Amino acid sequence: MTTTTVNGRVESLPDDPDALLIDIVRDQLKLTGTKLVCGAGVCGACTVLVDGAPVASCLMPAQAAAGKSVTTVEGIGAAGLHPVQKAFMAHDALQCGFCTPGFIVEATAFCDQWRATRGTAVPSREEIGAALSGHLCRCGAYDGIFRAVADACAGRFDGDHVAAPRIEARDKVTGAAKYTVDINHDGQLEGLILRSREAHARIAALDLAPARALAGVTAVSLLGDDKVVRYVGEPIAAVAAKDRKTALAALAAIKLTYDKLPAVVGLDAGRKDGAPVVFDKASRKRAGNVSEAAGGPAPWKQNIRGPTAVFSTRAKKARSWVDEARQANNKLLVEATFRTATQQHVCLEPHAAVARFDGDRLTLHASTQQVFHLKEQIAKRYKLDHDKVRVIADHVGGGFGSKASLGTETIAAIELAREAKAPVRVAYDRQEELSVAGYRPAAELKVALLPSDQGGLKALSVTAHADTGAATNSTIAGLARLIYPAEAKDLSDFDVISNLPPGAAFRGPGGPPMAFAVEQSIDEAAQRLKVDPIALRKRWDPDPNRQRLYDWASGLDIWRNRKPAQTGRYRRGIGVATGYWLYLWQPNVKVEVAVKAGRIVASTATQDIGTGTRSVLADTIAREFDLEPSDIDVRIGDSSLPEGPGSGGSRVTASVMPPTLQAVRKLKAQILEQATRKPAPGSNAPWRELIARSPDIAVVETRGEDGKNTAPGIRSPLREVGLMGMVFGWMMRRFSNIAVGAGVPSSVQVIEVEVDTWLGHVRVLNVHTGIAVGKIASPALARSQACGAVIQGLGYALYEARELDPKTGDVLTAGMEDYRIPGIADTPEIDVHFDEAGFDHVLGNSVGIGEASTVPTSAAVANAIHDAIGVRLTEIPIRPDRIVAALKGRTAA
Amino acid sequence: MSAATAPAMTAPEFRAAGTDLSERRRSGLSCGEVIDLTASPETIGVAWNADGSARVGALTAIAAIASDARLAQAYPGITAAALGLATPQIRHMATLGGNLAQRSRCWYYRNPQIACLKKGGADCPARSGNHLYHVAFDLGPCVAPHPSTMAMALMAYGAKVTTDRRSGLSITDLLGDGSNGAADNLLAPGERIEQIELPAPLAGECAHYKRAISRSYAEWPLVEVCARAVISGGTFREVHIAVGGIAPVPLQLTACATALEGKPATAATIAQAAELATSGAKPLPMTGYKLELLTGLVRDVMERIAT
Repeated sequence: MTTTTVNGRVESLPDDPDALLIDIVRDQLKLTGTKLVCGAGVCGACTVLVDGAPVASCLMPAQAAAGKSVTTVEGIGAAGLHPVQKAFMAHDALQCGFCTPGFIVEATAFCDQWRATRGTAVPSREEIGAALSGHLCRCGAYDGIFRAVADACAGRFDGDHVAAPRIEARDKVTGAAKYTVDINHDGQLEGLILRSREAHARIAALDLAPARALAGVTAVSLLGDDKVVRYVGEPIAAVAAKDRKTALAALAAIKLTYDKLPAVVGLDAGRKDGAPVVFDKASRKRAGNVSEAAGGPAPWKQNIRGPTAVFSTRAKKARSWVDEARQANNKLLVEATFRTATQQHVCLEPHAAVARFDGDRLTLHASTQQVFHLKEQIAKRYKLDHDKVRVIADHVGGGFGSKASLGTETIAAIELAREAKAPVRVAYDRQEELSVAGYRPAAELKVALLPSDQGGLKALSVTAHADTGAATNSTIAGLARLIYPAEAKDLSDFDVISNLPPGAAFRGPGGPPMAFAVEQSIDEAAQRLKVDPIALRKRWDPDPNRQRLYDWASGLDIWRNRKPAQTGRYRRGIGVATGYWLYLWQPNVKVEVAVKAGRIVASTATQDIGTGTRSVLADTIAREFDLEPSDIDVRIGDSSLPEGPGSGGSRVTASVMPPTLQAVRKLKAQILEQATRKPAPGSNAPWRELIARSPDIAVVETRGEDGKNTAPGIRSPLREVGLMGMVFGWMMRRFSNIAVGAGVPSSVQVIEVEVDTWLGHVRVLNVHTGIAVGKIASPALARSQACGAVIQGLGYALYEARELDPKTGDVLTAGMEDYRIPGIADTPEIDVHFDEAGFDHVLGNSVGIGEASTVPTSAAVANAIHDAIGVRLTEIPIRPDRIVAALKGRTAA
Repeated sequence: MSAATAPAMTAPEFRAAGTDLSERRRSGLSCGEVIDLTASPETIGVAWNADGSARVGALTAIAAIASDARLAQAYPGITAAALGLATPQIRHMATLGGNLAQRSRCWYYRNPQIACLKKGGADCPARSGNHLYHVAFDLGPCVAPHPSTMAMALMAYGAKVTTDRRSGLSITDLLGDGSNGAADNLLAPGERIEQIELPAPLAGECAHYKRAISRSYAEWPLVEVCARAVISGGTFREVHIAVGGIAPVPLQLTACATALEGKPATAATIAQAAELATSGAKPLPMTGYKLELLTGLVRDVMERIAT
């Protein structure tokens, strides 16, 4: 038997030639700080040191570590935090934390080597970017990582002092934070899912018996009553076994016969007359949902569902004005067709669930954005008492909208665990995560924008067709109603259904594609009207929050010093764009704030998917009591706590802050009332003394309605839309438990790019993002969110696209080499400006930041590229192939 | 996901660092016997001959090649290529021989559920399907570009490969001319690469390597170029240009190199010669853009050499 040394301890290595180093570290030694993400050496989450050199443990054969010394993230912080760990904590260089251990290991090796040769010199962004080029972070924590690595190298974190704006940061930089995939009960089985190889078929026969005949194997069917599969990858059955290898053998043993049905793939084919129909009338309820809320009724013919046009106003007028302008060859009429790509969420922690039954009680660990609602969904589906189901999510490795439903991973884990009478883990592999776990649908948008003779906005027409796969309910065009009022708007949304996996909600569903098309059209109009693009937005967009952001943006040096069009190989340009999201909050949310054993404890059944919910609660309460955030215990991620909000629709902060503040007020009164001894006169910490001496007291408060004290011009955007808007708002509340509040969270971004016209490469030089989401509850974390939103937006603009086989719909970009998310070296300097006014009517004055802050980015990039090269790129991602083609088209013309 | 229909590779495979093989084992693409290669003094490290030529062991790590100061002095194009591929973690593990013998990165090949020529299938699904990142020089039935950056750089230097059975193999001898769609190289079953011989550099030669990608790092090249040239008296004397990412095997751009030889090393002559880079190209419907990138990249690399 061979051995290796892991974190200083001698460990045995198995003889199995297929055992990889990560298997030893995670499964044999239970050192779960090391994460398995891509399985292909692309993302770096599995990085460990072998004899001091960072390597990808997901690819390294275990036997190759024989006689060597392995250091995992747990080994790095063992004898006291490394300066890199302290720097990551201080600079909030992390969000969901799933990539963090890999970054820590690599950055530590880099820092140690740097210090040995360069002393306390400060490495450049380029040096840090190159050193960390083997790591990917989907939350986009790169801005903080640059600062953290530079400061650690410079020796600024050599001391003992550790401060972290994110209260769970220490657990994330040491690898101690446990995610769903890290849960390992005694006797736990590994579950895998059998998926359709056909794009469209009826399952003629499914025989699980050969799988069940294998020792220790459990198998369940996941087929619907109609036994029809509608996309490659649709779940058919699930198996559980003692390990992945046995489970794979069980999957292979299942006998499956398909009766093939004609299939249709994608936006263009799906719209053709006579295309095979994906959902007949009886099966339409099986379609997924790509929005954050339930949808209204809409016409549905063959594969086209729509138009949904409730947000139109004087639509006929808009169409006739546009027609007239076209016939009159009106040079001010802007018309264009835009195409956006399918964007995958790419959560680094895959969709995962671990189910365990203790008698009739179910405990489910799940990588979810909604512990409370998931519990209710499970109780309903399986007819269990609500108090016998508990959903736990201590840490969630990213969600971005894709983990907001009762998914196949959860259903399979529960049903297998029930059948096997043993705990079962189901965790998607990367191929599943990048193909069947949801996505932002691609879209085609036809825009016609007509300025009036007086320089106003006369008509806006947007028709959007979304490539929703086996799902419906896309709203893209409709979102153009709540910005840029016009005399008439014709806004129509269509879902184009085809034999592709269902899309899902993704950070500001519909927002980025709408902005990509409309914001470029506004830019084009500004050019034709010969008006500064920010000035035109200021004229056409009266929203008070954005008016302030336009003033900020037009005052930026970079905007005032714009240069005329350039020639030569490298050309620079500057673009602007606007985005917004609705201010949403969740009624009935409850927060308990209590004194327990002399400490303040806040509890609510929400979860932190990297957004910083724990810190928002801790910071808010600490401010009220004049304590440190570390004095507050925050309990979330557990459905047995008071009802908390789902992490979607940027609603968490606005849902938990008001009841928290109400509860704090009441708790303060009760503490004082029950205090037997008042604090010493002149005490600088009266609440600390009072709390320490207080008996246990608990106050639970429920989220109430907002105040009427709105600032001038701040109204509910739906109210402005009139009756249909009010109906829409009522439906959101009635069917999705989401309230639409007054005021519009907004972002205006100014972006500078440099285009290499020879190689088609776009480098983003700097981003200025102005954000109006009210008072910032946790500034460092809000900055992280703002930067991450920009970085995801840059991915959407420049790199990310799901590629398919055009006939079968097989997702070809099912690995992280081929589905390209931004890396640290692609990250520009990001200047974040918070405008904190506008939400005085919300108790605490804060609303969510997650979505508004990512909406404008792709449009601002496209406008900057147009400014640089004089060609408008109407299709994203704006890859080298598209840049060189666009430049050639221009030369040829 | 089920590997039930996987046309898996059941032949024994050698494993150096496993950076390619481990992924294929995990996906079920490879399920035959694994034979681990163990390093010997002949197969690891760099040895120098009196004439200035070098011999690099096949099991030498890419990172070791990238950080070898003497190699950087003599063969800067090799060093730059080693530094430009994959990620720092992979470079620490992956070996030169493994880089040459790695399997295709085609997204159809890598999907264990889809049959293709390299898995014993009847045709190339990429040709009739989605080949956005595939060849622009259509030289054979398989349209996947060869993945080895090191092979392309070694071709520019006229390197020779020694296996346990043969010696003096050129990169073309090793990888073929692209007409065999069923394999990524012409190694016989059980044959393994042992050393790579690098001829002594030319007096006064300069070299450069660059890849065109959409992001900054860690991406398979859309197009990559390694070029070397001797410039004396402001004139190109000897020019070698090898390119990757655009054909089933690395290619030498002979017409382009010949057009530069004897010409002044100026931006104007380079721009003119770069137009010849695409001679003989046969792009697929989705890969026409690679020709513009190729022209631009050859210009870029030759300009850097000339300055």
